[in-house]
Amino acid sequence: MRPAAKYGFLGPVMAVVIAAAMGVFVLHRYAGERAETVGRERASQAAAWLLTHGPAGVDDLRRPQSIRWAGVAFSETPQGARYPFLRRPVWLAHTDPARQGTPLERALPDDKATADLLVSPEVTRLPNGGWRAGAAETLAQGERRVAVAELAPPPRVEIPWPSLLLALGAALLFWYDLTRRVPENRVRPAVGAGIAATALLALLGPRLNAVHALEVPESRGSADIGGASMLLAGVVLLPLVIAGVAGALRGSRRSDHRVAYAYIGPALIGLGLLVLVPFLYGVGLAFTRAGHGSATFVGLDNFIDILSSEGRAITEPLSFYFTLVVTLVWTAANIALHAGIGLGLALLLKEPTLRFKGVYRVLFIVPWAVPSYITALVWKGMFNQQYGIVNHLLGLFGVTPVAWFSEFWTSFTANVITNTWLGFPFMMVVSLGALQSIPTDLYEAASVDGADKWQQFKHITLPLLKPAMVPALILGSVWTFNMFNIIYLVSGGQPGHSTDILITQAYRWAFEQDRYGYAAAYSVLIFLILLVWSFFTQRWTRAAEGQG
Amino acid sequence: MLRHLFLIPFCLATLFPALWVVKMAFRAEQAFATDLNPLPVEFSLQNFETLMSDPLFGRQLLNSLLVATLTTLLGVFLACTAAYAFSRFRFPGRRAGLMFLLVTQMFPGTMMTIPLYSLMESLGLLNQMAGLILVYSTTAIPFCIYMLKGYFDTIPRELEESAIMDGAGPFTLFWRIILPLSRPAIAVTALFSFMTAWNEYILAATFMSDERAYTLPVKVQSFVGDYTTEWGHFAAGALIVSVPVMALFFALQKHLVGGLTAGSVKG
Repeated sequence: MRPAAKYGFLGPVMAVVIAAAMGVFVLHRYAGERAETVGRERASQAAAWLLTHGPAGVDDLRRPQSIRWAGVAFSETPQGARYPFLRRPVWLAHTDPARQGTPLERALPDDKATADLLVSPEVTRLPNGGWRAGAAETLAQGERRVAVAELAPPPRVEIPWPSLLLALGAALLFWYDLTRRVPENRVRPAVGAGIAATALLALLGPRLNAVHALEVPESRGSADIGGASMLLAGVVLLPLVIAGVAGALRGSRRSDHRVAYAYIGPALIGLGLLVLVPFLYGVGLAFTRAGHGSATFVGLDNFIDILSSEGRAITEPLSFYFTLVVTLVWTAANIALHAGIGLGLALLLKEPTLRFKGVYRVLFIVPWAVPSYITALVWKGMFNQQYGIVNHLLGLFGVTPVAWFSEFWTSFTANVITNTWLGFPFMMVVSLGALQSIPTDLYEAASVDGADKWQQFKHITLPLLKPAMVPALILGSVWTFNMFNIIYLVSGGQPGHSTDILITQAYRWAFEQDRYGYAAAYSVLIFLILLVWSFFTQRWTRAAEGQG
Repeated sequence: MLRHLFLIPFCLATLFPALWVVKMAFRAEQAFATDLNPLPVEFSLQNFETLMSDPLFGRQLLNSLLVATLTTLLGVFLACTAAYAFSRFRFPGRRAGLMFLLVTQMFPGTMMTIPLYSLMESLGLLNQMAGLILVYSTTAIPFCIYMLKGYFDTIPRELEESAIMDGAGPFTLFWRIILPLSRPAIAVTALFSFMTAWNEYILAATFMSDERAYTLPVKVQSFVGDYTTEWGHFAAGALIVSVPVMALFFALQKHLVGGLTAGSVKG
């Protein structure tokens, strides 16, 4: 190692930090100015859009959540009053439930000013920072039709510090790593750069969002996103794969390469068509706003929305960060319980002289053999407040019935208990196998040297368990991270989506909110988190195997 | 004796929910059982009779069996051949291939559901067993390949070397030496493939809209409603679904330990 290399990582890190800070400064100015012009423009566009498309047009606006409310009114008797067209209003209060059902004139807080606005469609800035615009159209016999759109103020800009610090920390770690190793490995710098980019995105997200949250009317794209395009992709990919394989075959002089490819071929084609192509398609979907059968390309919008929590506070259940923390706590708690209970039971069952050993072992595998959705549904019944057996059991000890799914921690605990029941047999089986492979003479030698049970466990059992346990734990962590069935079926995210983990949240966005693009972006983030996790764990696996 | 003192209560806690299902399956009512005794107190086959008299149920049972069996056959075939290549050959792209298999385990299911649906739709495979079989076997493959490769790695090469001396080609080695020697690992792999297909719920519920094409998990889940649940029918269905898997599990449980530690674990 070169002596200077030790602190060499500081240079690039400083550069990244300074560049990021400058970027934020510039964007801040830019965002402020741009928000003003964009806001005016978008508000009048929204009103014009409503005028031509009627109340139903609201659903077609690109970002319905940025419209505070919108209304369309028709007039019948133009004579007499100054604003006669407001007499028989047809109203529509879109995003504000309190205003639904209120006629247009009462929905508008300042009657006169608003009515003026409708006559001459001028954009006004509201005291709360939003914009209001109107559009009017004269129909036959002086009849008029008007539309009003009020845009919500741009969301309060909040820099997601946790994600930023996390990403910067990770980037730092990778740079440090780079400087210590021979740069033969090109993957690590790429990952470092990726993480730095994420940090930048997290930084820019809310800023950009302030601008483009105001983006309004845009007809839904009609691009076909059906499987046809995927088939097309498959058709394009397949010759490429074949060409690649053919090239590899020609390039490889050794005939056993050819044999190897022949053996892998069938599995590879299957995986390519049914795993890789759908995956790439899902990644593509993440950059679109997709609903039923149509998609519009929106760039990084979905990611920005997710990382800026769509204006929600970080501590709110539907924000990405809250769900991420819940997911991490969920994974850690489960892995600890699975491994602890599994290893404990394995140690108890290891003794060769234990009676009924086989019976115990068979009985402890039962939870593994039961399909997880059945486990989940049965436990959900058992946690029921009225008839559930858990409350019944607690009642014997004088505990008043607990409404398990109405508080975050009880609901979370119910999930963890269910998943612990489901998951410990796997760890038990793995630990049992690993324990059996430890030669018993090691223990004999240790006891001759005067080591007590605890020392034997610490210095013989644990180190020798590592090669088998570390990969099993890593596998288990990935499974738990994506454990859809338990969360979805036991707590169902109650109360108020707070116990949802990332994967169930993504599912909800897709199939309950029909926001396919958003859900796909969510899934991409889940994938990236697991990918980074696997980079770390691969090193641990190698280290554990090196010891074993 | 002290060990039993720990093991017995834990065993009871483990068996409690399972016994519960058995108890409810054999009761003649649909409400959730609320007394603390987990053992069946009555023995009524009414729930099973109701299920069996439903003509659709037989068909759904058959669907599940068909899908799970064919998935297992296809999945194990593809996994064996690929694992053999990964274990015994050094070729360009080997490391990348293994890496890819590992990475596929991280694809979130929600991300795959929508594209797979569109793909199945345009291939005309919605409501078709073939669609489910293809999807399940490819989802199960990466894990199976890893397990089998790990096991193949533990088979000493000397066996093959002597066969090569006798003029055996790669196929003979694969078919006559590797496969017969890895029966336990193949059995466990088959079990996992079978379980993947037999227990899968989300994709089956997404792809199958026609009740005649349902698999058992979709059917069993349909007894659990938002407001009322037919616990008796659910429990009976759950038993029918769980029993075959449990039987296989216990038949193979000796291999389970060896297969897992040799296989999945040493990537």
